[in-house]
Amino acid sequence: MAKNELDSEDYIVELDKNTCPTREQRANGTNVYFGKATELLEDAKKGNLKCTERGFQQSGGCILNFYLSVRVSTIRDAAIIFNGPVGCSHAALGYKELYGAIPESLGKPTNYNLNWLTTNLGEDDVVFGAKDKLIEAIKEAEKRYSPKAIFILTTCVTGIIGEDIEAAVNEIQPDIKATVVPIHCEGVRSKIMQTGYDAFWHGVLKYLVKKPEKKQKDLVNIASMLSYAWQDRIEIERLLGKLGLRVNFIPEFASVEDFEQLSEAAVTAPICPTYTDYLSRGLHQYHDVPFFMYPSPIGIKNTDAWLREIAKYTGKEEEVEKLIAEEHKKWVPKLKEIRDKFKAIEIERDGEKIDVLGSLGQGRLVTQLPYFDELGVRSTSAMAQDFDNILIDELEDVIEKVGDFNVMVNTFQAAEQLHITEHTKPDMALTCPFQGGAWKREGSVSRLHSLRGDPRKWSGQAGYAGAISYGNFLLQALKNESLQRLSKENTGVSVKQWYLDQDDPLYFAEKGK
Amino acid sequence: MTKKIKEIAIYGKGGIGKSTTTSNISAALSDAGYNVMQVGCDPKSDSTNTLTGGKSIPTVLDSLRKGRGALKVEDVIFEGFNGIHCVEAGGPEPGVGCAGRGIITAVEFLKQENVYEEYSPDIVLYDVLGDVVCGGFAMPIREGVADQVYTVSSADFMAIYAANNLFKGIKKYSTGGGALFSGLIANSITFGAQKEILEDFTKQTKSTIAGFVPRSLTVTQAELSGKTTIEASPDSEQADVYRKLAKDIYNNKEEYVPSPLESDELKDWAESWSDKLLDLKKQEEGDFKI
Repeated sequence: MAKNELDSEDYIVELDKNTCPTREQRANGTNVYFGKATELLEDAKKGNLKCTERGFQQSGGCILNFYLSVRVSTIRDAAIIFNGPVGCSHAALGYKELYGAIPESLGKPTNYNLNWLTTNLGEDDVVFGAKDKLIEAIKEAEKRYSPKAIFILTTCVTGIIGEDIEAAVNEIQPDIKATVVPIHCEGVRSKIMQTGYDAFWHGVLKYLVKKPEKKQKDLVNIASMLSYAWQDRIEIERLLGKLGLRVNFIPEFASVEDFEQLSEAAVTAPICPTYTDYLSRGLHQYHDVPFFMYPSPIGIKNTDAWLREIAKYTGKEEEVEKLIAEEHKKWVPKLKEIRDKFKAIEIERDGEKIDVLGSLGQGRLVTQLPYFDELGVRSTSAMAQDFDNILIDELEDVIEKVGDFNVMVNTFQAAEQLHITEHTKPDMALTCPFQGGAWKREGSVSRLHSLRGDPRKWSGQAGYAGAISYGNFLLQALKNESLQRLSKENTGVSVKQWYLDQDDPLYFAEKGK
Repeated sequence: MTKKIKEIAIYGKGGIGKSTTTSNISAALSDAGYNVMQVGCDPKSDSTNTLTGGKSIPTVLDSLRKGRGALKVEDVIFEGFNGIHCVEAGGPEPGVGCAGRGIITAVEFLKQENVYEEYSPDIVLYDVLGDVVCGGFAMPIREGVADQVYTVSSADFMAIYAANNLFKGIKKYSTGGGALFSGLIANSITFGAQKEILEDFTKQTKSTIAGFVPRSLTVTQAELSGKTTIEASPDSEQADVYRKLAKDIYNNKEEYVPSPLESDELKDWAESWSDKLLDLKKQEEGDFKI
């Protein structure tokens, strides 16, 4: 699908509709797959990907609460209403803990309030409908917080009873100063978490983004910086600042004005292409903002290419070459140091390359592997939370660069992850924090997805500084096996051996291939 | 020891004569000296209208909505014809909320408030909306509510389709202690062919017919005056039909799981009757030509 604005129209964002299609509908999204990357590519090209049922399922999330609610909570000068039973809003409570450790000196906004309400739907609301309660909540949000925008997050309950959210919004909007933005993230709609993000961008594009008054040639939209960590934000700002460009970070800790001016930017650049896809297309189709989808600024080469792409859209072609040269002078020797250290370990073990199992979002799948290549480690297997047609070209590109590898697609299924780890026996397995079930093994396990609120320098992954800090982090994690060793010595394995003996970790899944 | 209350649920496609039939059964049983309760499970809330002189009564859900804590059973149970206890579950206004959840809420309220112990009916009849479209409308056939299920059906294909869906619902819940089927009430039967169609359908689905009710203007006249046939024309032939049906149902001990047809089978079966059905349509139209 789209690499940049030239092929943006292979999918048209329909803002006259209440919401987006699901990723399953739009792009054959799946979170159930195991095979070779080349097979995945082939299946995706043929349209064979299908989000089938698992006979055994561990943990999970929903499209509302798999970080969408936490992301929306961070938007400054806005309020958020969970339109559902009170339990649906529980994830927002993690907000303080997730971001609390980030000091204001690093640029976190001083206004750190959580403007949070829920309609607290009960039995009578389910039976009779809850339009009045939503309207009350909108009025209350305005009275309490005087926000510039009010986001309404829908839930399974409002989805099942078919609440007409738009009717309530249209009725109350004339009496309310804030812009009311309904987001259709009913959990029952989709199993692919990206659907929730698409639904969010749909609401943003439809209700918040203003027609551009003037184009701001030095403004670069960057969505989802906090898929990475706060240090990445600082690094991206530093690099683009050196080019004389300003970053419009959304949605984390953005102001409503930042959303309104998305249409005035020179370009929308990716951090996580699968996350940004819907927004990028919409901004191009409705406001003529160009975009590109690949690469993301992970590793030295990808960061070079990412900066050059941005420079093309902002007329900074000369400046960018100067910047890249300068940065290389500083960082490439450091990368070489790390590479040498990995190499030394490799030589110690008779030339056997260090094998890293990456646990990656589909965005990371296509950006991280080339970076591992730079570090001199290899990745014979990778895991992704989901996969869909949007990244077909990028996957093809990666396979060309690094060769074929095993791919496991699941959204935090601990047993499946243990299975691939036991079968491939990598030197190091990378997972996400809150992975959904602990598992342990010989060798090292570390985190790939930084905890979003970790503000320390070692948590950086993006840009040049990130390439170095994460390289060092991996090196350190590879050497330190104590946690895994101790837990293996002291506790049993959580799945039976016969499962680990199966060739197919997805033997219990309905076959969609 | 509390006495065993007979609880039956009567399903059927909308407009097929379910409420008319149920109310006449209630009236006939009450006339025969039984203590009867009728619970309307349809958001239209007009199941018991012909038992209450054509008037609508406040529903359980409306009352619950006004004040859950203070609600007493007396607020939602009304005396109808001959002392029949009339209840309407109620529901949301058309197009909003969830009517199915409403049925669950209302029936649970009646159970929690020990209504059946307090009023001690001999028989409770649930008059339930049409198809078993969702879990809510299946509530009366789930464990712990009705013991026996009947369906009212004409020889019309859509009514039979609804009956077949009901069979699917019964089959599904039967393993968990749900209600069992006790017979099809053949309604609006004028022609021999209509009888044949329904007889064949029950044969195909291994079910039985509990009784035949002919189409009759007496019923319409009674309804227009806000009454059951039993009340309005107690001496009519039609009243006798209902009395017999009521007695048969009260004494019916048959309870079983029917064998619903798969949708393709149902379609093929209907096609096999298409010529007869077309003939019937013509006859019916002739019948009602003014």
